[in-house]
Amino acid sequence: MKIEKKLILSNIINGTFIILIGLFAFQNLNLVLTKLRFVEIADDLNASFLAMRLSEKNYFLYQDRKALGEIRDKVAATTQTLEAEKGDIIPAIGETDLRKLESLLKAYAKTIEPVRGTVPPDAAQEERIRGAGRSLQEYADSITRLERKRVNDIIQDAKRILIFSFWAILASALLIGHFISQKIVRSLRQIEKMTRSISEGNFAQVRDIRSRDELGSVIDAVNHMSEELAHREEQILQSKKLASLGILTAGVAHEITNPLNNISMIAQTYEELYGQLGEEQRISLMQKVDAETERIRKIVKNLLDFSKPKDAQPKEADLNAVIQKTLTLVQNMIDVQNIETIIRLDQGLPRVFIDEHQVQQVLVNLITNAVQAMTAGGRLFIATRRGKDGSSVEVTVKDTGQGIQPGFLPHIFDPFFSTKGEGGTGLGLSVSYGIIRNHRGDIRVESKPGVGTTFTVELPLPANS
Amino acid sequence: MAQHRIMVIDDEKIVGDMAKLSLEQEGYAVETFLSAEPALKRLEEERFDVVVTDYKMKGIDGMEVLRAVRSRYPATQVIMITAFANLDAAIEALRRDVHDFFPKPVKIKELKASIKRALEKVA
Repeated sequence: MKIEKKLILSNIINGTFIILIGLFAFQNLNLVLTKLRFVEIADDLNASFLAMRLSEKNYFLYQDRKALGEIRDKVAATTQTLEAEKGDIIPAIGETDLRKLESLLKAYAKTIEPVRGTVPPDAAQEERIRGAGRSLQEYADSITRLERKRVNDIIQDAKRILIFSFWAILASALLIGHFISQKIVRSLRQIEKMTRSISEGNFAQVRDIRSRDELGSVIDAVNHMSEELAHREEQILQSKKLASLGILTAGVAHEITNPLNNISMIAQTYEELYGQLGEEQRISLMQKVDAETERIRKIVKNLLDFSKPKDAQPKEADLNAVIQKTLTLVQNMIDVQNIETIIRLDQGLPRVFIDEHQVQQVLVNLITNAVQAMTAGGRLFIATRRGKDGSSVEVTVKDTGQGIQPGFLPHIFDPFFSTKGEGGTGLGLSVSYGIIRNHRGDIRVESKPGVGTTFTVELPLPANS
Repeated sequence: MAQHRIMVIDDEKIVGDMAKLSLEQEGYAVETFLSAEPALKRLEEERFDVVVTDYKMKGIDGMEVLRAVRSRYPATQVIMITAFANLDAAIEALRRDVHDFFPKPVKIKELKASIKRALEKVA
């Protein structure tokens, strides 16, 4: 589910909850109002009943006939009030209690009815009247008390429910917020990790996220980008290789000239001196032709191998041999520039697990750069040795060229950064960097303007060596 | 007539070997060297009529040989052969008074003809 939808849903749930609580509070308030209205009426009634009882007492004490009239008036007025306020009373105490109250009032009126005040009331009559009055007053009292208590209860309940709801809504909001932000943060971290690894040239896909929300889409997009980048990197790798190939081909063409010349000269001599040559000499010459052909074949094969687009195929390899092979490709370029080469290969170098062609490409790039930095000639130093901690091997390519300005050093591995002007693609070192990083190795540079530049490629040894 | 002396300097052994085989047929005395240093030393001991040298060599290169021979032994002619068909190098060689300049692969007949012309110059 989309995060947007989740947020909306959680808001709807919380909102509904709040509305329900509001409705409940509103209803409670209404009930309280009704009860309070009744309590108000009940207070009036109680006052009337009290007045009746007072008149009743006066009558019995003083045989005051006026008091009888007062009682009757009050009974009539109270009956009227009950009838008039029915609409407010029934919702508060229910019809049964109202009927009971009315009937008690009627019963009281009835006991009063026969009393005319002409004769003093007898004891039995007095007792009936007092009894009816008392029950009426007590019943009214009890209802009022009960209702007051109910109002109190309702308010207490409402208070409790409101407090509970407050905590419940707060908790649910916090929980949902936490849950969603957790998820967002987790996914963002994953994306961050992924983009970081992409920037290091590792185009692995993130597959452990199954979410179908916006973050899922972002991850899909990043995955897609990663895939595209991997594809582009392959293309850049190949095009860079073709660019190197352009440089190499010119050199290799010259490299082939010498064995070709040898074959040509042997052929001319053989033809010209055929009669004078002995059997052994002829055989020896033909063997030489064969050897020279082999020399050409090797050069061409190296060039073809180098130019072929290939997926990375790491294999166990002898790094020194890879360097020697690379040198056959670049030797001519080195010679033309009047550069002296010093090769120091550690003969005890352990075998490495590398993609030979890719590492060869890195070496071609580094040597080409070195040669191009030594336009006025110089010394090219290539060495291999074991890494300091013994878990890696190192190749050093050092030149005595113009060096790199300190300000450029941090950028030389950036794609499209070039100090060669029109002549450079700015991809050689960035591609080399990518290749070496893919081998879990490292490539470092030290340079001093006017003194020279040293590139060190570090390749890890397989775990078991 | 004394035998003419030819020196061939090339780091490709076959070039010297084949040149020697062919040129000896013409009656020349031929000595071959794989690099310039021993060749220049040998020149101090013995006069050579023609020096055939490769252009691109480790250490002292053909252009240096040309310069040294023409300044020290003006009577000795120099023929340069090169795998690098490079116009700049050819022009420089001409300025230093090279007798001839051959790109590889070398036609032995042409080389022989060139040597013959050089010897006429010497004589």
